[in-house]
Amino acid sequence: MSAPPLLAVEGLSCRFGGLLALNNVSLAVQEGEIFGLIGPNGAGKTTLFNAISALTTPSSGQVLWRGQPIRHPRPDRLSRLGLARTFQNLRLFDSLSVRDNVLVGLHRFAASPLAAGLLGTAGVRRRQRQLEQRALELLALVGLEDGADLAAASLPYGERRRLELARALATEPRLLLLDEPAAGMNPAEKNDLCELIRAIRDRFDLTVMIIEHHVPLMMRLCDRLAVLNFGERIALGTPEVVRHDPKVIEAYLGSPR
Amino acid sequence: MDAGLLVQMLIGALLGLSVYLPLYCGQLSLATPGFFAIGGTVAALLSTRVPAFAGTGATSPLPALLLEMALAGLLAGLLALAIGGTVLRLRGIYLAIATIALVEILRVFNLNLPFTGGALGIFGIPQPFDSTTGYAGFSLALLAVVCWLCARLEQLRLGRAMAAIRDDELAAASVGIDTARVKLTAFVLSALLAGLTGALAAHFLNSWNAKLGSFDASITTLAFVVFGGSRTWLGPVIGGLALTALPELLRPVGDLRLIVFGLVILLGPVLFPQGLITPQLLQRLGHGCSVVGQGFSGAGRRLRGRLSGVRRP
Repeated sequence: MSAPPLLAVEGLSCRFGGLLALNNVSLAVQEGEIFGLIGPNGAGKTTLFNAISALTTPSSGQVLWRGQPIRHPRPDRLSRLGLARTFQNLRLFDSLSVRDNVLVGLHRFAASPLAAGLLGTAGVRRRQRQLEQRALELLALVGLEDGADLAAASLPYGERRRLELARALATEPRLLLLDEPAAGMNPAEKNDLCELIRAIRDRFDLTVMIIEHHVPLMMRLCDRLAVLNFGERIALGTPEVVRHDPKVIEAYLGSPR
Repeated sequence: MDAGLLVQMLIGALLGLSVYLPLYCGQLSLATPGFFAIGGTVAALLSTRVPAFAGTGATSPLPALLLEMALAGLLAGLLALAIGGTVLRLRGIYLAIATIALVEILRVFNLNLPFTGGALGIFGIPQPFDSTTGYAGFSLALLAVVCWLCARLEQLRLGRAMAAIRDDELAAASVGIDTARVKLTAFVLSALLAGLTGALAAHFLNSWNAKLGSFDASITTLAFVVFGGSRTWLGPVIGGLALTALPELLRPVGDLRLIVFGLVILLGPVLFPQGLITPQLLQRLGHGCSVVGQGFSGAGRRLRGRLSGVRRP
């Protein structure tokens, strides 16, 4: 018998008043794959991410982590299980420095007894230096090591996106949810990002779930894709299968007259 | 400046820090005067009713004061722990309103409980120090310790988590911070500080009544932080010191003083929206100091060079 998928979504529905944002969506993400989520605007992609990361409570259905339902899901508990995410509309800690943004991501590994922390014992200082070193490594990975002392708010858009990625990686996730990481990038930057995501997956032995509108990029990057339209999953499979699915073509191009 | 005003200013700074702690993680709590009142009442009751704390006649031993402060802080902290979980579910202005309600409830209790002396309060609280200078020294030491702890806190994991919650609570939760717990910790620390400050204030004022923990005090203590700045511990300290001293220093202008005081409180946030003291300001000052320092050490090097040149044959 094979191992249960890292993440499984079973019959998930999200209703906001009269709007059914997700309708009975099921899918499973296997360990180590890059799993894409595409669909027209308003298809429910971000809602699905929000439901997985416990920012939205689903109306029905459940999310399974390694085959087990997550009881009392809360964003911080999911982070400790190994889930990290970035946000479509960037949520950095703007008043903190670039380095501190990543250090907040290392929160889980920074615990020290309060008294020792206040007194700044040798052990605490050594641990602090290790964490700062780790933060710099992560910043170097996304090419931001030179701006570590800048305020996060002062970074240009593309660098803010990369900082958010470094912060997510700091939590040492098993599964990384990327919500439109290439938004606002030009084709060259999108290619770089593609390489970066692959490199990160290989280096950290990650599973990646990604939302992106740029379909050709997704076809190249992803191992498998799910297509949402009006809250329903209309297709699931390898890029080749999805590309030729008549329902997908209809969702993107309209039905042939 | 007389020592009495200095003690009041130092107590103001301590209360400013008590408002600052929850505000540092974005929680607008106005409960500080409530916990301050609990601390004052605990100290007043213990030192006038319990012989072990009362000492001989008008004086009380210093260890008794320390023990009262510890008990007052503990009681205030426990109350904060008990109600914090519920109250801190509220955000922004709603949390402010709930904490105002708490202050009012405590004030009404203080006014009507059979043993707190009604509107007149409790009189003749024994003095652990011979003079106000003693209070000034003790308060200054206490403020120094609390400032040091706050400065350390800002460098620690807890302080970073608090700042992260202030900037974006949702993002903080999604990187694994138990936001409810961090907010509760800040709230309890704030209550603890207000409680032990209250115990000190009760002895200093020699009497204690319900008026000392009122809605007015909520707004005044909030003004300390708004005026001084809420991004670093130095802000509320400066705000507390300055705004406590100002009405007294303005006495020469007579009845105008409250108008001038009001104008200062009004103009402060208009001219310095982030408060007087901001991390950027401190950074600039620190940079300035290091430039001056380098200048000095450069001059020193040149001087040493010349001296050694002189000694050379």
